[in-house]
Amino acid sequence: MYRYDEFDHAFVSGRVEQFRDQVTRRLSGELAEDAFKPLRLMNGVYLQLHAYMLRVAIPYGTLNARQMRMLAHIARKYDRGYGHFTTRQNIQYNWPKLSELPDALAELATVEMHALQTSGNCIRNVTADHFAGAAADEVADPRPYAEILRQWSSVHPEFSFLPRKFKIAVTGAERDRAAIQVHDIGLHLKKNEKGEIGFAVYVGGGQGRTPMIAKKIRDFLPEEDLLSYTTAIMRVYNLHGRRDNKYKARIKILVHETGAEELARQVEVEFADLRDSELKLPERDVAAISAYFAPPELAPRAEGWASLAQWKKADEDFARWVHQNVQPHKHPDYGMVTISLKPIGGIPGDATDAQMEAVADIAEEYAFDEIRVSHEQNLILPHVALADLEPIYRGLVAAGLATANAGLITDIIACPGLDYCALANARSIPVAQEISTRFGAPERQAEIGELKIKISGCINACGHHHVGHIGLLGVEKKGEELYQITLGGSGDENTSIGEIIGRGFEPEKVTDAIEVIVDTYLGLRLNPSEIFLDAYRRVGPQPFKDALYGDKTAEAA
Amino acid sequence: MTKIWNESGFVADDPWIIETEEVQAGSNEKAILGLDAFLAKKDGTDLGVLINPADDVRRLEGHLDRLALVAVAFPAFNDGRAFSHASLLRSRLGFTGEVRAVGDVLIDQIPLMLRCGVDSFAVSNATALKRLAESRLPGIDNHYQPTARPSQDVGSYSWRRRA
Repeated sequence: MYRYDEFDHAFVSGRVEQFRDQVTRRLSGELAEDAFKPLRLMNGVYLQLHAYMLRVAIPYGTLNARQMRMLAHIARKYDRGYGHFTTRQNIQYNWPKLSELPDALAELATVEMHALQTSGNCIRNVTADHFAGAAADEVADPRPYAEILRQWSSVHPEFSFLPRKFKIAVTGAERDRAAIQVHDIGLHLKKNEKGEIGFAVYVGGGQGRTPMIAKKIRDFLPEEDLLSYTTAIMRVYNLHGRRDNKYKARIKILVHETGAEELARQVEVEFADLRDSELKLPERDVAAISAYFAPPELAPRAEGWASLAQWKKADEDFARWVHQNVQPHKHPDYGMVTISLKPIGGIPGDATDAQMEAVADIAEEYAFDEIRVSHEQNLILPHVALADLEPIYRGLVAAGLATANAGLITDIIACPGLDYCALANARSIPVAQEISTRFGAPERQAEIGELKIKISGCINACGHHHVGHIGLLGVEKKGEELYQITLGGSGDENTSIGEIIGRGFEPEKVTDAIEVIVDTYLGLRLNPSEIFLDAYRRVGPQPFKDALYGDKTAEAA
Repeated sequence: MTKIWNESGFVADDPWIIETEEVQAGSNEKAILGLDAFLAKKDGTDLGVLINPADDVRRLEGHLDRLALVAVAFPAFNDGRAFSHASLLRSRLGFTGEVRAVGDVLIDQIPLMLRCGVDSFAVSNATALKRLAESRLPGIDNHYQPTARPSQDVGSYSWRRRA
């Protein structure tokens, strides 16, 4: 993984001191809250319902054991002993004190971490495939490019006061695990006929109150043009993105109102002038950054195959966990492990300090000191020998982290909702907990198969409900919480926005509604390998509407 | 009270004044014209022009030799369009005269404005005036991107610079 050099260290400490100065001025009243707000946001500090919230960046979700231990330490010292991993592969703390934040940031800086640009109307933490560097279907590791973009976008003087936030995601495989088509810029790493690396460039995807799928504006952008072309997009957006209405300020609205073709033309005009500028990426720099992401030396561990078969035979729970949470690695003797942060009935994405430390210990001992955070709010050990799966599993069981549900109905994404968030209209966490409990039996989950439920507590869609196979959106109607259900969304290479199925459900009825949908699916699927999303795409909404609302035409909530 | 500041300090007798329907430049003052008014004016040198956020700064191309000053407007500190205007003026159009930030100019934004090629500032915010008087700019010296303002290559990755 990337390691800071002196330049990075000096930059991050400079940023901590800058923020300390801003906090001092805020606390003395010299800096008004409205002027402080964008400054603190650019440093990951939100004002939530009950307290300030600190969101720490985990660039493209990659971290090592030392960093994970620091996250545990921050949870213990500055918070209430836990943290919440987010859909942007970051972690947030819900109870820090403003006056202590500069110290927390200074401690994070000692392990090469920061909270830069995890919020605010600037370029946010760049995300990437959580299986990067390990997945068998990868053309190239997306993280070196994400790292170059991270550096280039850090305190970018021209793009720190954009019309709205700006999110970039990079994937290096055909199977899109980074949801690039619902990002402001999505980059798909690929090779051209000559075998050269470049990117297909997507622009203007996003969720929120106006979900849109990104438009491809470039089939193949050569690697060396990454920063100049991105600058061109950013400049067009900075100058022309709407600033009259914050709900229409994302680049997706600009793309929609301008037209993708015209926008692409404007970007090309800007790019023509930037292409041969100082922004051109030299091959040696790409190579130097890529070297940090070289995969670990993976020795042959063929003995794992026999041991694994034996362990599976001896322990049904272990076998289920391997089946569900371990995926093939590009090296046949290894696997990629998903550590579920979705215990049955628990809070999606939460981890205690002790759990973080347990993961750090396991990563150090067995997994080449590498941990990932997935946008699905789980943790990943990307390089694990099959021969080590059993001790890893025991360690996870001891830490309460061995839930065998990756990709299943209880692997729910949920935003913090009304329990924490000042924007929310409805609670998300209790709904997730109830659904998880209802469907928690292992046999039942296995029978249902792959099914992604995503829950947002308001229209801002932080819980990604638009791309949930089943999406739940909490709304407020006449002072009561109500949950609108969408079906058929997906955030992969075949991205689709879910369709609202009908009027919403009260909190106490929403789990029953999910059960009706699931039972309807089980009754109509062609066979157990036809997953919910495929079945929905085949039959459409009608059977689900009929089951939920009877023969009466469903009215929209 | 608005004061003009540049990296040498506060400017004592700044002659520039933004002309509007109500405000006209006096005999010892120089007018900063709106973009259309400037482009309509066929004569004169050492002129000043105001670029508002929605203006296309590229319309100044071919007229730069008549300009001594371009003011870029920040009607609110969070309207960042003038950062791009200043960058384009310097790197695309090659303007070498004075680029002045006007409007809601705050201390925490001044280092960013400097890097985009702004070199003078019309400041009225009390904290900003105080900090500028004490020469305490809250910028960071290490930069991850080349910008309009020339800066030192640090001999590391191509995109890195130092103030």
